[in-house]
Amino acid sequence: MTNEPLLKVKHLQKRFGKFQALRDVDFAIYPGEVFGFIGPNGAGKSTTIRVLLGILRASGGNAAIFGQDVWKNSVEIHKRIAYVPGDIYLWPNLSGGEIIDLFLKLNGEKHTKKTDALIKRFELDPRKKARTYSKGNRQKVALIAALSTDADLYIFDEPTSGLDPLNEQTFQDEVLALKQQGKSVLLSSHILSEVEKMCDRIGIIREGRIVETGTLAEMRRLTRTTIDVQTVEPTPELETLDGVHGMTMQSGTNHVNLAVDSDQLTAVMQYLTSHQLISLTTTPPTLEDLFMRYYTADQPTTDGK
Amino acid sequence: MRLTQLLGHTGLLIGLNFKRDWKKLLIWIVVLTGLLTMIAAKFDSIYGTQASRDAIVKTLKMPAMVSLFGAFTAHAPYTTAKVFATEMVVFIAIFMVIMNMTLAVATTRGDEDDGLLELIRAHAVGRLAPLCAGVVELTVVNLIVGGLFGIGLQIASLPGADAAGNWVIAVGLAALGWSFGMITLLIAQVTNNASGTTMLSYTVLGIMYVARMITDVSDPRLTWWVPFGWIEKINAYQTNRWLPIGCYLLLGIICLGVAALLNSQRDLGAGLIAPRRGRSNASAWLQGPVTLIWRQSRGLIVAWLIGNFVLGASYASVFSTIGDIAKSNPMIKQLLGTSALAAANRVVVKNFIAVLAIVMVIVALIPAVQLMLKLVSDEQKGYLHQVYATATSRWYVWASYTGWAMVTGMGVLASGLVGMYLMGLASMKDPISWLTYWHVFLAYVPAMLVIIAVASVLTGWLPKWRYLAWAWVFYGFFSLYLGNRIDLPKWARRLTPLGFVNKVPIKALSWSTNWWCLALTILILVVAAIGYRRRDLAQ
Repeated sequence: MTNEPLLKVKHLQKRFGKFQALRDVDFAIYPGEVFGFIGPNGAGKSTTIRVLLGILRASGGNAAIFGQDVWKNSVEIHKRIAYVPGDIYLWPNLSGGEIIDLFLKLNGEKHTKKTDALIKRFELDPRKKARTYSKGNRQKVALIAALSTDADLYIFDEPTSGLDPLNEQTFQDEVLALKQQGKSVLLSSHILSEVEKMCDRIGIIREGRIVETGTLAEMRRLTRTTIDVQTVEPTPELETLDGVHGMTMQSGTNHVNLAVDSDQLTAVMQYLTSHQLISLTTTPPTLEDLFMRYYTADQPTTDGK
Repeated sequence: MRLTQLLGHTGLLIGLNFKRDWKKLLIWIVVLTGLLTMIAAKFDSIYGTQASRDAIVKTLKMPAMVSLFGAFTAHAPYTTAKVFATEMVVFIAIFMVIMNMTLAVATTRGDEDDGLLELIRAHAVGRLAPLCAGVVELTVVNLIVGGLFGIGLQIASLPGADAAGNWVIAVGLAALGWSFGMITLLIAQVTNNASGTTMLSYTVLGIMYVARMITDVSDPRLTWWVPFGWIEKINAYQTNRWLPIGCYLLLGIICLGVAALLNSQRDLGAGLIAPRRGRSNASAWLQGPVTLIWRQSRGLIVAWLIGNFVLGASYASVFSTIGDIAKSNPMIKQLLGTSALAAANRVVVKNFIAVLAIVMVIVALIPAVQLMLKLVSDEQKGYLHQVYATATSRWYVWASYTGWAMVTGMGVLASGLVGMYLMGLASMKDPISWLTYWHVFLAYVPAMLVIIAVASVLTGWLPKWRYLAWAWVFYGFFSLYLGNRIDLPKWARRLTPLGFVNKVPIKALSWSTNWWCLALTILILVVAAIGYRRRDLAQ
């Protein structure tokens, strides 16, 4: 992996009239990396992607892909990009097959064997008019066109929200194949298992700000480990220790469940072992926990609200 | 129970419809009643004297005018009111029909296409409730417009007018509008999408308009076979016949009944005409925005080309009748001599062509502006979203739409003129040379391009205000078609570039006007392109 990022976003801002949709978006994607972009509804995921595509014009900061400005050089950039939007609207009187070919041609590509293979794998009927497609089928049209494009960066905005589990699996396989070919992917998603399975690094956006970026491992370090523990001796001071949260009594003597900040884990474990362990289970934080931690409204935001 | 099944929550939907459409409805109501009342008020000053009335009656009896305004059936003494009834009723009727068709399409297929109806029908709403809400909306609008027409005519109090005549016009127009609304509701059940419904509705109007033109010129009694022509049969300010109004109501009720039957039987989102399967691959021809627009709009473009051709040809079918002065006055032949008479005949026809040119130009502008504004509606419907994510520049997409709008406008104008020329060739003893039509074409194209360019600027800078382009086109029609009749001042006619065009083919083609129009077009297009490149696209 080289150190030169493929996509670089710095202090990106976007305002619609009085509404500040993006306050400070900051992240980078490196070659060969799958970057997960997660955040609650209305946090600014799609707005960020639209700025990256040159559909919206940034109000501040800068964004570059392949080292070129996303607004000024959009056409140059788009030659090496494939994109699947979250909501897909297709010309009602064209068939799916026609639309796939059109999207390929607009990027200077052709209908290849791979396109046919993808149509087969996703089980799309290409002769139906787009008017009659369901949401999942419209998504398949866009996915097939994007996946059969030979691009350097693939941008997927919640691509699987209408797909059945089988097609979702097909999509994940295809993305992993892209990764093996050294392509970069920006994946915005709500399906955390999908992000967890595929992404190398994750960025969490909330209220128009990137609040966290890093690998899943790095993020886990930032959050709490859940511990279910039973000891021989009572542990009265446990709740007062630094970094201990949400302690609850469980059935059985001296059996508790608690969450510990990762940086206080050593101290807490030392305290527990000194009280003679009977059983101990630790659960690493899941992406859900991370997600909840950043999403829940009572969490103070960075601007101190 | 059965009734709830069919009509549950209709009231709620009616309220929703009005809440959503009130602005649109208000504009239609104000424009239509304003137009009628203003013209009525103006008529008194133009046709105040008996001499002026006799002169206009002579004109209105000519086949050319009959084809435009309907058969002249009034008897002497000619009052201002009778002249008004003959000149204005068919004209206003066209707008009434267009209003009702637009509203009817939006409230039925429009909602269905947007997926709104699916959401509504998932609630405790009757199967026929959305259709019924549409019917109520149309009925209320027509009642209001009809009521205001009546009041407007009462206030204008044209000499020779009486309450009975005023109200037969007002109610007649409302009934005509309503029945065409119902026809559109029926058509909406046959096709399976909004654009198909619109196209088929306009086709029906076009056929009826041409049919009534032919019957009016040949034998006005036959006009009874054409529903659009019934409005001419009210005989306002004379016998004040209410029979046509009854016919309209009956026709409307029948159409509504069939529409309701079809609506209650069919699936949501489906029509009687089943969608065909498409190609599995794009043809080699479908390459980018230019061919994509053609693929999208070829039906529309071809329909307008054929429509204007037929319209031009049908106008020209009366050329030989109007171009025969000697027929109404045999003395003239002896006075003028054969060659001078032929020249005089040609002048009459050319005068007629000068008026028709305006109709042709406006008809050509409709699909042109429609295609131009499609740039915004396609963007807002999300169709262009993915196109912009490919290596396709905004400039290219903008230029494709603008280009198609201009080419279509010119093409439709040309086809209308060609239809006129060919029909003239076939029907006239001494046909008008193609050069005449060529000059009409050259004279109006630059002015047309200015209007399309302005529509393009709206898509680039003020997409929310894009419908102003329509207002401008309709103002152009109003100011030129009726400008002479109602004595519109020169500056008011020159609020559109069309007002600067000389009365070709009566007067010579003005190249200086053409050049500045073309220069202006280019300038406006540059501004439009910059605007479209700079702005955010719809989410």
